[in-house]
Amino acid sequence: MARPGFVLEVDDRTPPLLVHNGEGFLLERFPLGTRVVYPPEALPPVRDVEEAIQNALLHPLESEPLPELLRPGMRLTIAFDDISLPLPPMKKPDIRQRIIEAVLTMAADAGVDDVELISANALHRRLTPNELREIVGERVFRSFFPDGKLYNFDAEDTENLTHLGQTRHGEDVEISKRAAESDLLVYVNVNLVAMDGGHKSTSIGLASYKSLKHHHNSHTMIHSRSFMDHKASKMHHSAWRMGEILTQHVKVFQIETTLNNDIFGGPLEFLQKREWEWSIKDQAAMLGAKRGLALAPAKARRKIFQDVRSNYGLTGIHAGSIEPVHEKTIENVHKQHLVEVQGQSDVAIMGVPFVGPYNVNSVMNPILAACMGLGYYFNSYRGNPVVRKDGAVILYHPVDYEFSQLHHPSYVDFFEEVLSESTDPATIEAKFEKQYAEDPWYIHLYRTSYAYHGVHPFYMWYWISHALDHCGDIVWVGANRKTVERMGFRSASTLQDALEMVSHSVGRSPSITYLHNPPHLLADVR
Amino acid sequence: MRLADKLDGKKVLVTGVTGFVGEALLHRIIGDLPGTTVVAIIRPKGSLKGTDRMAQLLKKDIFKPFYGEGTPYADAEALSAARVEVVEGDLADVPELPTDLDIVVHCAGDVSFDPPIHEAFTTNVLGTKSLLERIDESRQGTDRRIHYVHISTAYTAGRRRGAIPEAPVDHSVDWRTEAEAGMAMKARIEGMSRSAPMLAKFRKDSEKLHRRAGHLTAAADTERRRTEWVAKKLIETGTERARSLGWTDCYTFTKALGERVVEEFASKLPTSIVRPAIIESAVQSPHPGWIEGFKMAEPLILAYGRGELPEFPASPDSVVEIIPVDHVVGAICAVMATEPELSKPEYYHVSSGARNPLTFEQLYAGVRAYFSKHPFDLGERGAVRLPVWKFPGGDSVENLLRHGERAHKIADTIITHIPRGERTRKYARELDVQKRRLDFLRRYMDLYAEYAQAELQFIDDNVLALHNALEGEDRDTFWCDTSIVDWQHYLQEVHCPSVTDSLRRLDVVRKKRNKALAESAGTLKKVTPSDDAEVIAAFDMDGTLLSSNVIETYLWMRLPELDSHQRAGEIGAMLRKLPKLISAERKDRGTFLRTIYRRYEGADLEELNQIVDEVLAGHVLERLSGAAVRRIREHRAAGHKTILITGAIRPLTRPLEPLFDEIVAAELAVDDRGRCTGYLTGPPLVGESRAAWIKHRARGTNIDLSKSYAYADSHSDLPMLTTVGNPVAVSPDVSLFRAARAARWQIVDWKTPSTSSRLEIPGVNAR
Repeated sequence: MARPGFVLEVDDRTPPLLVHNGEGFLLERFPLGTRVVYPPEALPPVRDVEEAIQNALLHPLESEPLPELLRPGMRLTIAFDDISLPLPPMKKPDIRQRIIEAVLTMAADAGVDDVELISANALHRRLTPNELREIVGERVFRSFFPDGKLYNFDAEDTENLTHLGQTRHGEDVEISKRAAESDLLVYVNVNLVAMDGGHKSTSIGLASYKSLKHHHNSHTMIHSRSFMDHKASKMHHSAWRMGEILTQHVKVFQIETTLNNDIFGGPLEFLQKREWEWSIKDQAAMLGAKRGLALAPAKARRKIFQDVRSNYGLTGIHAGSIEPVHEKTIENVHKQHLVEVQGQSDVAIMGVPFVGPYNVNSVMNPILAACMGLGYYFNSYRGNPVVRKDGAVILYHPVDYEFSQLHHPSYVDFFEEVLSESTDPATIEAKFEKQYAEDPWYIHLYRTSYAYHGVHPFYMWYWISHALDHCGDIVWVGANRKTVERMGFRSASTLQDALEMVSHSVGRSPSITYLHNPPHLLADVR
Repeated sequence: MRLADKLDGKKVLVTGVTGFVGEALLHRIIGDLPGTTVVAIIRPKGSLKGTDRMAQLLKKDIFKPFYGEGTPYADAEALSAARVEVVEGDLADVPELPTDLDIVVHCAGDVSFDPPIHEAFTTNVLGTKSLLERIDESRQGTDRRIHYVHISTAYTAGRRRGAIPEAPVDHSVDWRTEAEAGMAMKARIEGMSRSAPMLAKFRKDSEKLHRRAGHLTAAADTERRRTEWVAKKLIETGTERARSLGWTDCYTFTKALGERVVEEFASKLPTSIVRPAIIESAVQSPHPGWIEGFKMAEPLILAYGRGELPEFPASPDSVVEIIPVDHVVGAICAVMATEPELSKPEYYHVSSGARNPLTFEQLYAGVRAYFSKHPFDLGERGAVRLPVWKFPGGDSVENLLRHGERAHKIADTIITHIPRGERTRKYARELDVQKRRLDFLRRYMDLYAEYAQAELQFIDDNVLALHNALEGEDRDTFWCDTSIVDWQHYLQEVHCPSVTDSLRRLDVVRKKRNKALAESAGTLKKVTPSDDAEVIAAFDMDGTLLSSNVIETYLWMRLPELDSHQRAGEIGAMLRKLPKLISAERKDRGTFLRTIYRRYEGADLEELNQIVDEVLAGHVLERLSGAAVRRIREHRAAGHKTILITGAIRPLTRPLEPLFDEIVAAELAVDDRGRCTGYLTGPPLVGESRAAWIKHRARGTNIDLSKSYAYADSHSDLPMLTTVGNPVAVSPDVSLFRAARAARWQIVDWKTPSTSSRLEIPGVNAR
């Protein structure tokens, strides 16, 4: 049985602890008394994945078994989570491939021949053919991609969108026409963290800007406390309302999977072990990695990290009707991620790692780094934020001025043109969002190249609005001063300096909590 | 009798009244010789007539006390009407003179030490001659005595040594022969410069640099080189002729011959020849430190104060014959009142060396002391470190300079050949500063070395006698005994503060401007929509919008369709050709492009398009500079027409199509099967063709090129950039960088995102 997560209190016997820092890591000595939140160890995976898949499809929750939903001549659409999940990407075979193959086998047995597969990337960038292949596997790719039956969702293809109506709050529900007009929509999900899945899958993954803007805005996001708790998240409430409308029109067969915390394998395994338990081999690996990374040129370092593929064990798979399925999923996720933390602290410390949902095979630009730290990690709580109201957050990441002109063209412009005018999410939204969302060049790149939609950087900035609102001070350790300053933060050269800088608001001996992730954790702050 | 009485009612013709000495003389006559009228010969300048220039002159500060309240004259015009008569004219063509002249003071002359030989003769010899003829003519055959006061220079003594008497210079050079030969040099040198071998040399030199930009650019530079060569040769000829006859330079040589001309007329006109030494700022009048423009010592003093004069080829014990301008003017006034006999011209050395010598070492100490106390404030780096001179002698300074020049030349060759980049541009800028300093040193060392090592002593008994003959208050007003000057006080309290003043004020302005420039460096001015005319923004592609070049893009296009064996072959072939290609590229971009494009022979154009869309688009977009794209879009938002002008082939521009209203690219010709023939449908658009294309595009439309923009990175785009009103050099190569700096164009650095890699070849090893 895997050990549960726990909270360590730093004392004089505590070794320096590992902190993720972009494409690298640090060993940091924390002040005595610092609470360190460790995630639970990887849960044991299900023993036979194929059997679990079959079981889920044949014994779904509050739904007929899948084979009974399939009939000849029907329109079947399989949507699946895009490359933003899981993080880091999964070693082959991807769990989505296994499920899709199972679903397709059943469809073939039932004589269904109108099948299309859609990557539910909403306003994310299109996946390259290679990336699609990695997710669905060679066999599926070869049979569907050349005929155009396996493709990326295009939220700007107005002819292929269907407006399904409005929720009782007046929110538009507009999704992929193919999905809306299908006799059955099978959604294949990877539920890495508590935020994913449920109604968020279809009503966000296959939705257009018109629909997304009802919940992806600064007002909703500031009141999503937190994203990782769909019952307390306004964004999720909106998605759930949309889901109601959607399911009235489309029959959705939801398949959700949960993964364990086994994300670093091989020579990087020490990254998910507790420091005082590092074996000689782990210590050697750590030293080797540290020296190697320090010596490696930036490009080589990037390649090392971009090539990380995680083992991930499947901890559960549930299929059927969306809500009961998601409940089971959340239960599983909590089992893997939840750590009880008693009370808030004055300072929260987080190390931002090399990859986030939006920079797979790309660079984590300053905006994404901010979103990863202040959007994802800050929101990794249930109940109350780890840090008290007006407390301080200290983050680790180099925050270099680096943007992928291919993947994030609107991000560069957002950084240069928008952030130089204001960093307030509401102001930015009012003044710039529409212009970026409707810009024909960004739309062109989103549709034909591999660029995130023009409006995407705004969403990143809305992600962090809760943190901006909640925290008194935000300081980055070891970050590029210029880029950090542009985003309205401050930079310190060491943790000691950072603590010095925030001391005016939290005092000389603040209570400190360090969230030791990844592997992922969800702080259940009582 | 006082001078004012002696000169009462006299009419004095003054030439060169707008010059330094002339102006001081005019000031003195108006102020201290109330009964004397001035006739001034003034040359019209531009749209200004002589009278206008006189009016301008009288509006200067030193003349202000002479009119207005408490004076007999209401304003400058009244003063001018009462005291000054203006004769429009020029020494090259002396006009008819008034017939009632009493005295003529000829101050006009070419004061530069290195004038072109024909100009030196025109002003200093022939001009003097025709002036004298006109003066003689104005007597109209009467025996009216007109006292001719000739302002010469003490250095007419040339390279002689020891004591120089106040007497005619001892030489037997015939001024007529010399003048004739000197004047003929202009046509001869001009003729030489037009000979085939010379023209070929100029053309080859300029083509080395400008061939890429195009023939006309090279031609313009060839002609510039020719005229520069002519000017240089004329100067060199003058200097060499002077030295061959024992003078320091063409100035003193022609001045000495000018004296011969004057002496020839001494039988008709009573003649005094005043020979001032090095005239510097005033001790007393019009006010201490008064100086107009920079004279001989100022550039050196300023350069020393800025720490840019490491050493000087002077002998520390040689005497610097400095003389304050008010002493010169005092002496001239005294001379005016002292008419010599006919045929017995009098000579006056207005100098300081005989009785109050200032050695070079003392001068250096004075200037150094001044700058130690009052250093230039050159910005954030604090006071300048003043060089310590050891006076090692002319030869070693010359060696030092020669080494510097040689080192600069080598560094310059290197800098123009290494790959471009921010650092290269930084080095280039530093080299240019170095070059300016070296040129400055070279120029002044060549000019002044002779003077700084002179071992002359000008006897000034005549001037002392003049001074002693002054009566009453005249001794204070027209003081001309230099022995009273306290040199250290003069240098440190009067002269240096005065000559550095304007520069200090300029420094404040420059500092502010530099600060503003530094703050705005690399940020482009915002583009604004134009209401009345259409504005275009032309962009070059390779090197400007994205880091790429034709060879690279060729490999991108070709490699994906080849197997690994063929790839290795193709890359190998390109590598083997690289040196040849690079040298072709430096010479003629058009030929270079054609060579590369020949290799497309046999490729299917449709397939190329497809490769770009499927494989290359991402690669191209990834390497686009974000700032460049923002700028293009800014232009579009302002309603400007965006145009991509590139020598790259059309398929490669496909990913950029939505950004531009118009794309001009090289079109690959295809045969009936759609296969590339390896030729283009027309010549590639490079260098001057781009400029021509833009001009043609604008012709007959509402496009206003003066408000339009162009962005490019390479020297070959110079013609394109010059056609528009807002050229921008983008991450320029060294040659364009220099041209852009000289023309004060905007320079920006558009970086390709560091996330892309040069070594990744799409479809081969890239994701």
